[in-house]
Amino acid sequence: MSAVCAASRVLGRKIVSSKAISTQYPVVDHEFDAVVVGAGGAGLRAAFGLSEAGFNTACVTKLFPTRSHTVAAQGGINAALGNMEEDDWRWHFYDTVKGSDWLGDQDAIHYMTEQAPAAVVELENFGMPFSRTEEGRIYQRAFGGQSLKFGKGGQAHRCCCVADRTGHSLLHTLYGQSLRYDTSYFVEYFALDLLMEDGECQGVIALCMEDGSIHRFRAKNTVIATGGYGRTFFSCTSAHTSTGDGNAMVTRAGLPCQDLEFVQFHPTGIYGAGCLITEGCRGEGGILINSEGERFMERYAPNAKDLASRDVVSRSMTIEIREGRGVGPDKDHVYLQLHHLPPQQLAARLPGISETAMIFAGVDVTKDPIPVLPTVHYNMGGIPTNYKGQVITHENGEDMVVPGLYACGESGCASVHGANRLGANSLLDLVVFGRACALTIAETNTPGEKLSPLKPNAGEASVANLDKIRFANGSTRTSEIRLNMQKTMQNHAAVFRTGDVLKEGCEKMDSVYKSLDDIKTFDRGIVWNTDLVETLELQNLMLNAVQTIVSAEARKESRGAHAREDFKDRVDEYDYSKPLQGQVKKPFEQHWRKHTMSYVDPKTGKVTLEYRPVIDNSLNAEDCAAIPPAIRSY
Amino acid sequence: MFSVNVARKAVLSVCRASLRPAVSTVISRGYRGDAPEPTLIEIQLPPWQERTGESLDIKRKRLLYESRKRGMLENCILLSLFAKQYLNTMSEPQLKQYDRLINEPSNDWDIYYWATEAKPTPDVYQGEVMDMLKEFAKNKDMEQRLDAPNLEYLDKSN
Repeated sequence: MSAVCAASRVLGRKIVSSKAISTQYPVVDHEFDAVVVGAGGAGLRAAFGLSEAGFNTACVTKLFPTRSHTVAAQGGINAALGNMEEDDWRWHFYDTVKGSDWLGDQDAIHYMTEQAPAAVVELENFGMPFSRTEEGRIYQRAFGGQSLKFGKGGQAHRCCCVADRTGHSLLHTLYGQSLRYDTSYFVEYFALDLLMEDGECQGVIALCMEDGSIHRFRAKNTVIATGGYGRTFFSCTSAHTSTGDGNAMVTRAGLPCQDLEFVQFHPTGIYGAGCLITEGCRGEGGILINSEGERFMERYAPNAKDLASRDVVSRSMTIEIREGRGVGPDKDHVYLQLHHLPPQQLAARLPGISETAMIFAGVDVTKDPIPVLPTVHYNMGGIPTNYKGQVITHENGEDMVVPGLYACGESGCASVHGANRLGANSLLDLVVFGRACALTIAETNTPGEKLSPLKPNAGEASVANLDKIRFANGSTRTSEIRLNMQKTMQNHAAVFRTGDVLKEGCEKMDSVYKSLDDIKTFDRGIVWNTDLVETLELQNLMLNAVQTIVSAEARKESRGAHAREDFKDRVDEYDYSKPLQGQVKKPFEQHWRKHTMSYVDPKTGKVTLEYRPVIDNSLNAEDCAAIPPAIRSY
Repeated sequence: MFSVNVARKAVLSVCRASLRPAVSTVISRGYRGDAPEPTLIEIQLPPWQERTGESLDIKRKRLLYESRKRGMLENCILLSLFAKQYLNTMSEPQLKQYDRLINEPSNDWDIYYWATEAKPTPDVYQGEVMDMLKEFAKNKDMEQRLDAPNLEYLDKSN
């Protein structure tokens, strides 16, 4: 927005017009104490935390903050407040560790679940209007995978919400608060790349869409909060903005991404359009039925039934379809039934569902069931960080911090979700780790620190790429290449995966990647060039896609959301279905309870894989006993 | 009061091709939980301001980007299809109305609820463009609306 550009000049933050890297594009240099890329829940929480701590903070975002994909979140935030029944954050910890299928790092999970009640109360104090019980306490709802007493005490009710607009309320509240502390927003700026020097992050380079100028944001601390990359798949619940920009920036900087093969399929996306039907429906009593009218989840998860963990439900639905009990003319989906619920409850507690079902599926939810299918919904994987939000690499058996770089939210991988995320844990992830990044930066830096000057040609390659894409005149259009990528991923890396199908997918993805060299764009302008931006997003998506499919092909086991028909079981260091006594521990190379670290050579699309151990200890064994691996059933 | 509203809605839903469930949505939409709705005091955000000095062509290009990049998939599909149909032929006052409609509201879901008539449109957004959007959302031609369109319809060389 021009108001923001003008403000930057007026406030005199050492803005310099630089001709060093480009004579065609005006280049403007900025200096800040911290720059946050992305203005969703995590980015806003980080930006607010940093500004509150006195750091001169820039927030660079391709969307107006309240239009980030966080706004779509209708479920809620999990926290063991204990308003509906007795609750303990250690039970939430247990649920999350189990939900992650023991791929989550228990120190990060400990941090998140212990901080959760304080995080929710903090949001309440910022002005977030949570739904209340009659007594005036925060109302908490049931959600999938949440139990009491370490799984033995029945369903827990710990999901706090603001009616059906928790995501929006979070964004509105955090954006408002951050403005009180003078965060500088650069809205509708598309971040192109990280500025790295000698393995340290020095800031970000971005394109201003309003006037086509290039901006280099120099800062000692960069926080990436760019969200997920659902748009690599043909059918997903994500907005068209989920293009994995941060993951790709990190990949191009030669750093690894972690666990990208773990893609969550939400059980109830509308068949066709992919629009999400929230898990809250099942929390309020909705049930899944097959062609025989059977509530089939009773067979697959006798205790939790329709509220079992998402990967369990997705797999159950896929098996029903596979075994011929699917519905519709092609028998390729199942039904979500809500018409047995009282209409007033539907209207009061699930108001948006009726519209979505009618507009995109032509269904009246008070009479008929909604056609649904497991649809790509969330990326558990992302940029690897420690529990403090610092981006790490793994060298010589040690985790090494990348100086100046942090990540949080869906783009980060702390890893709290491991192989599978529980519903309502994502909004919690955003606020806890957004805050963690701000706290870590505040601990180790002081506001106003002098910055070493940026190398004159920093970001040159990004501008060259931008220019190349803008004038690309090959033979294949952006939309064609994008569709090829999406169909390949959908057909070869979906809910159930098999070796030869994955291998074929890897080969196809390789040729789709290479077809980027021959891309054709049509808009040669530089102001509000949507064709250019969507092509840059395609480049980013492509990097995410190749890492996802190659990592999936390499991982020869089933764990959490990654389900292989040819390797149906988890391959841990011990066989946890039998007593441990007498078993020999498998060496690291021979089991799969480890994180995948993937790198890509951007010129060729070749993916290299390495592995990193899971952190099995909590932050403090006395406060919170770590949970040893076990067989996961609901 | 309550029964008048219910009766009015019943008549309206009969008159329109039945697109919505015949459930009274008089109950305040914003709330879920057992307690009555409290007075919500939410933080005020800075007011939206119309951009000045922008040519119509540039305005159209900006609104195209802003139609395609929304907070949730439902709006991405609805608004990018709407933009494909109408953006290039909108007059200046229509463009200004559309600009305000898609950029001022804080909650993207609200725009969706107004367009699908699940919630009444606030007076300040009512007008020609809102009517066009509501009509478009009804999908009288029963088009398949499975996804947002590609950009190539804008390629003049086609």
